[in-house]
Amino acid sequence: MTQYYFDHAASAPRRDEVTDAMAPWQRGVVGNPSGSHRAARDARRAVEEARDEVAAFVGAKPGGVIFTAGGTESCHLAIAGVTNRHRRTHEHSEIVISRVEHHAVTDAAEMMARDFENVTVRYVEVDADGVVDLDSLSDVVSSRSALVSVMAVNNETGVRQPLDGVNAIAKSSVPGGVATHTDAVAAAPWLSLPVVTATTDLISICAHKLGGPVNSGALIVRNEVPFDAVTPGGGQERGRRGGTVDVAAAVGLAVALRLTERDRADVYDRVFDYQHKLSAALSFLPGCVITAPAAVRVPGTVHVTFAGLASDEVLFLLDQAGVCASAAASCSSGAAVPSHVLAAMGVDVERARGSLRLSMGAETTEADVDALIAILSSVVFRLRDEVAVAPGLKD
Amino acid sequence: MKVLVAMSGGVDSSVAAGLLLEAGHDVVGATLKLWGGASDSGCCSVADVDDARRVAQTLGIDHHVFNYSEEFERHVVAPFVAGHLAGASPNPCIECNRHIKFDLLFDRATRLGFDAVATGHHAQVERRNGRHLLVRGADDQKDQSYVLGYLREEQLAMLLLPIGHLKKTDVRVEAERLGLRTWDKPDSQDVCFIEASKGREVFLRQRATLTTATIVDAVTGEELGTSHAAELMTVGQRRGVVPGRDGERRYVSRVDLAAGRVEVGRLDDILISAVALDASSLSFTHAALEDGASVLAQCSAHGRAQAATLRHDGRWWLEFAAPSRPVAPGQSVVLYRVDDPTVVEGAAIVSRT
Repeated sequence: MTQYYFDHAASAPRRDEVTDAMAPWQRGVVGNPSGSHRAARDARRAVEEARDEVAAFVGAKPGGVIFTAGGTESCHLAIAGVTNRHRRTHEHSEIVISRVEHHAVTDAAEMMARDFENVTVRYVEVDADGVVDLDSLSDVVSSRSALVSVMAVNNETGVRQPLDGVNAIAKSSVPGGVATHTDAVAAAPWLSLPVVTATTDLISICAHKLGGPVNSGALIVRNEVPFDAVTPGGGQERGRRGGTVDVAAAVGLAVALRLTERDRADVYDRVFDYQHKLSAALSFLPGCVITAPAAVRVPGTVHVTFAGLASDEVLFLLDQAGVCASAAASCSSGAAVPSHVLAAMGVDVERARGSLRLSMGAETTEADVDALIAILSSVVFRLRDEVAVAPGLKD
Repeated sequence: MKVLVAMSGGVDSSVAAGLLLEAGHDVVGATLKLWGGASDSGCCSVADVDDARRVAQTLGIDHHVFNYSEEFERHVVAPFVAGHLAGASPNPCIECNRHIKFDLLFDRATRLGFDAVATGHHAQVERRNGRHLLVRGADDQKDQSYVLGYLREEQLAMLLLPIGHLKKTDVRVEAERLGLRTWDKPDSQDVCFIEASKGREVFLRQRATLTTATIVDAVTGEELGTSHAAELMTVGQRRGVVPGRDGERRYVSRVDLAAGRVEVGRLDDILISAVALDASSLSFTHAALEDGASVLAQCSAHGRAQAATLRHDGRWWLEFAAPSRPVAPGQSVVLYRVDDPTVVEGAAIVSRT
């Protein structure tokens, strides 16, 4: 059966160049980059070359790059690291986050609030498109704020956040300003981070949304924000993230970033057209509503809701027809769960139950999009008890 | 046939899937995500979903997770709590089977193009004279026909119970033969959304304020003590009830939550001769039984069926042939045939009066 992959936002297809570049660091002697002999020096050089590339990709100094085991760890390190330092020197520490953050951010913030009495999470409201309400942010930021964390692009809907506005408020509301972090995992495949995150202090990225390996990412510290390591042991990464640096993972991240940067303009334009074609076609399906159509979005994501349908059933039939997609929000068991993002946007529960995220990337072709439109139309009509038989959908 | 197997992650449904596959069916597994809260028994933890997924991988079949947690809350958990607060003793497993597995899942399976749904229950569907019958499982220690008692003919026609003809020990042998990781997994015993280590009382206290009641001996009029969770006292219950002054055992005979009073009595005093049935809950596998029909009535999951007569005189009720231990409102009575005691004929919920 032909496979149509529309879940790039969950994990993008691994690029051959990434696999090839990582290969030498995954067999035989791979030196520990902290050592002093020649094998260690070779490993160290590969790590530092990767660090230079990551720094250039984000628009930061190489010394600000901390290699991590992925986006979740990067976000956790930013939230927990900054808050831990803050709460040792302040009576109250408030973590300011939006209502639509990824669980990597919300769960780290909630954990800090659970574990420490003087730590509180303050939520910033969003509008019906899921865009952060800057007035709400102004109300929440105070001299107690330890960190403001707002994602660059939402992972479920693809909607962009006004980071410059967020950072301006964080920096100007309080003498000395409040440190800012952004989860740029969903933004990295599409937007130029030196531009989009120019005013942000801490930036989290990961490799596998870019065709790189899983368990590989980085937290980039653009400005000298004081924070404590979560895992200090060993003192690697300038004492900010203990543990032996994974050479292959760092190399894989760097190559994925390089390829993303190289192809960005072409991929953006091409997928932008697909996004419009897909949205236009889906908007004709009964009960289908495109999520946040007027908001500024990255091209890769089309998020829709179907009134009266269950995501589970749509996804099942799509899977049977070879289409890989997701409902965007799922728990560790793999079950679709009600999305906190849609809830924050005021999408009613019935509609949210029928949500579907179709996410594209560099490998997506127009033929994939055409096939998806045919198959999804047939699935929707079938579930609505109407007759339609599309290619690839057998009874 | 294209068959959707409900896989809990336990050994029974794992073997059910394996046997269907060996029989040549086109099998897809689905685990129902029902409960999001804490649980240490039953079938809703991530570990159980992982077990089910691993079994599906071992067998080489597709596996999906369906989230029914909202529906489970609405149809099973909320009525369970409300029932207890109203002084009834609802059976959540029966409600889950009725509303989730054999209502929502059957509908979904039909929409998704399946010919049949299978589960790992210890019960059997038999076709006799063109009719589908629900029959007790071959292992009488494990028989689960009671919790399936509300299934009707048209549902039985679409249901496969592939392990119902096996003893539990043979199910484990099959699981080992099929190389399934669940072959030695312990049986689940308790209500899946209640932590066995904490019990019903802890669960109910999270959702409601429970009633403190005086326990009164109906024989002597004496106060025997206090219950801090009268909602959990069920008529007929002996566990947790202190003996009377005469040294004889006492059983709960009446629970009056409004008055904060629980009466206990001697077994002989609390035996009943009949129970009223909630007409709206009454379900027959085939045609409705008539007034005066002789049946065998089973009043709990592992209880013994006793001879009774079904009565219908405007209201429905059940007259026992011999005095019976009381049956609490909210519990289900499942009716079996007198001439073939393994065959289910229908079921109903016991009402208050």
